[in-house]
Amino acid sequence: MEILTHRIRHTWWRCWLALLALLTSTVCTHHADAQTVSRETQLKAVLLYNLTQFVEWPGSVFSGSNAPLVIGILGQDAFGRVLDDAVRGEKYNTRPIVVRRCQTIEEGCSCQILFVSSSESSKLSEIISQLKGREVLTVGDFDGFVRAGGMIRFTKSSQDKIRLRINADAAKAAELSVSGKLLRVAEIIRPEQD
Amino acid sequence: MLAAESNQSTNDVQQSIRALKKLSLDELLNERITIVSKTPEKLGQSASAVQVITGEEIQRSGATSLPEALRLASNLEVAQVNSHDWAISARGFNNTLANKLLVMIDGRAVYTPLYAGVYWDAQNVLLEDIDHIEVVSGPGGTLWGANAVNGVINVITKSARDTQGTYVSAAAGTFLQDAGAIRYGGTLGSNVFYRVYGQRFDGNPSRLANGDDAEDAWDMTQGGFRMDWYPSEINTVTFQGDFYGGGAEAVAPGDLTLNGQNVLGRWTHTFSEESDLQIQTYFDRTWRDIPGSIGQDLKTYDLDLQHRFPIGERQSFVWGAGYRLMKDQIENSPALAFNPSEKNLQLFSGFIQDEITLVPDRLRFTAGTKLEHNDYSGFEVQPSARLAWTPDERETIWGAVSRAVRSPSRIDTEVVSPTVVGDPNFDSEKLIALELGYRVRPAERLSLSLASYYNFYEDLRSVDEPTPGNRVLANHFKGEIWGFELSGQYHVTDWWRLRAGYNYLNKNLWPHGGINVSPSIREGNDSKNQFSFQSIVDLPAHFQFDATGRYYSALTSPDVPAYFAMDIRLAWHYKSTEISLVGQNLFEPEHTEFGTQQIPRGVYGKVTWRF
Repeated sequence: MEILTHRIRHTWWRCWLALLALLTSTVCTHHADAQTVSRETQLKAVLLYNLTQFVEWPGSVFSGSNAPLVIGILGQDAFGRVLDDAVRGEKYNTRPIVVRRCQTIEEGCSCQILFVSSSESSKLSEIISQLKGREVLTVGDFDGFVRAGGMIRFTKSSQDKIRLRINADAAKAAELSVSGKLLRVAEIIRPEQD
Repeated sequence: MLAAESNQSTNDVQQSIRALKKLSLDELLNERITIVSKTPEKLGQSASAVQVITGEEIQRSGATSLPEALRLASNLEVAQVNSHDWAISARGFNNTLANKLLVMIDGRAVYTPLYAGVYWDAQNVLLEDIDHIEVVSGPGGTLWGANAVNGVINVITKSARDTQGTYVSAAAGTFLQDAGAIRYGGTLGSNVFYRVYGQRFDGNPSRLANGDDAEDAWDMTQGGFRMDWYPSEINTVTFQGDFYGGGAEAVAPGDLTLNGQNVLGRWTHTFSEESDLQIQTYFDRTWRDIPGSIGQDLKTYDLDLQHRFPIGERQSFVWGAGYRLMKDQIENSPALAFNPSEKNLQLFSGFIQDEITLVPDRLRFTAGTKLEHNDYSGFEVQPSARLAWTPDERETIWGAVSRAVRSPSRIDTEVVSPTVVGDPNFDSEKLIALELGYRVRPAERLSLSLASYYNFYEDLRSVDEPTPGNRVLANHFKGEIWGFELSGQYHVTDWWRLRAGYNYLNKNLWPHGGINVSPSIREGNDSKNQFSFQSIVDLPAHFQFDATGRYYSALTSPDVPAYFAMDIRLAWHYKSTEISLVGQNLFEPEHTEFGTQQIPRGVYGKVTWRF
């Protein structure tokens, strides 16, 4: 009996080791392929597009009746094609929505939404001051964005979800009207709370 | 080949963007950042066999109770014994008195020191409010509380901030006779959120082996609240509580009645992304009267502290300490008694763990230990070491060596019954576990996980018979359990998701020392093969068609034939209203999952409003 038990145990050990070997070989033969855009970036891209549906810009910001609504990205572009995919075929009222990669702050001034990448964090106060008086909704996802005068910040919740922080006064000052629906799901903060 | 694959992933991204665009703003903000497993990154990379069930998966399964929801974790063994009793375990030793699992609801351990297990009939949660359930099979690492020998279940409900508004549901059916729930979430000021809820259900009886009514109909009524206060970005305060009462009919000698109350407070302070401090305290009272057996009143007072901080650039250190006092009071009967009937049990615990990044983004080593002191076996050391290698972003191979103990419970040491007597010197059951796992995402829409293990146990509980008719509990068994768990998730299309899991388990127990040692029947009855799946389909015109299925191979001690059972849910939702029809345990009019009683097929209809 004891011998039998021992043998069984021995066999199981070998099975376990065989499984180890199998696993190792699987790892070695597997090659990962091209990189994909993270889920987080995808969510942020769709949220950026969604913002166009909850914010109203004065008609005067558009150069003509068919002029598009422009979502600008200032600084390093993490979205790649994802943001273009998100806005493709979409409309703001009757206007098409387009994405522009801005090289300069001036270029950013002519957008309706400007996503300021974290690569620009050191230049943020300069960006904000240049945008003063412009009807541009500024969005960012890094620490201190709202504190420095940005309007909407994407943050991550402890439950692994995205949260919106809004400085409603700053948006108001830029003559943007933010819908109550958006304000309800966001956290309304003063700059010093960011 | 490579080009084709990257095209595929571009398509995947486009599809997922299209899917995300269909969501409302609320829904977008409710989406988790990580895809497929929906596992917070922290868990996805962890060097253990962890599975996560999301609230949505629970909704779509048609589950009506927490144990039914746990069937969605393929690394658990879940068997319904009768109308209200369940046998739930991981990696073997399943029984109604299963004793090697740590179960927590929002950080509150639901543990009875009577048999080191869980009264599943008393653990009810408003399923709508569950954010996710983490299920770890294997020794849960050093961080988890006592009793995490073969696994850990952590039920996490949503923050009150995420349950604003009204939820009302009403259901009626056959096995589930009726159920209703109502929850309201609101705010007090700009950064205090609360919810209150109440729910009630009546369950119809199961059936005896011969098909007769088992006359064990039951009901449970529960209410509770949760308040989340965010005084600032770096502080979170949670205060929550529940109370419940109900019972189950019994043919003789009388009906089971139970009730309980609990309240918990938790403060989390964040120093930085890598550093936080959490202090938690709770009180839990649970009472039950089982006529002809025992009555029990258990009061648990618990205080826990946990602190995480980085050391240099490559190390993350976490330590914690806890104290628990359990005041257990038993109403003895001739059939079952505990000596002494009243007992105060103290548990001191502490742990340290260091996670060291050996190669950034590639290789992590985690070592730690838990140190506990309990009133029966004194000091217990439970160390573990884990290594995770991430050759690239899509795959992780991990291995672990751990020691864990199942500390003695009252039944092991103090039970006095006509059939068996406890041993005051009963020692801890000890486990050395070797684990090896592989997790991979071969494509954006597919994730797979394989976890293999070899568990070696010493001092397992045995029933010794030194002189004829004189049976005593002792530690005279050794054993090993060997197996693997394969699980996967596949987002077939934007409208179809599949999850599936397969478990293989092999068990061998043998006596070691003692006189006339026989295996205690309490040491589990496990299927060798187990398979389960869930399919979630969004149909056009606001319809949903979902299915779950589970196969368990035969049990041997005592015999239960293999079975396959399936639940199907058809739902239609429009704006705030959802109407669903659910069939449970289809295919057979009734079947046995554990013991002898049979679980009948059931159908129920449910209406839900969320506004």
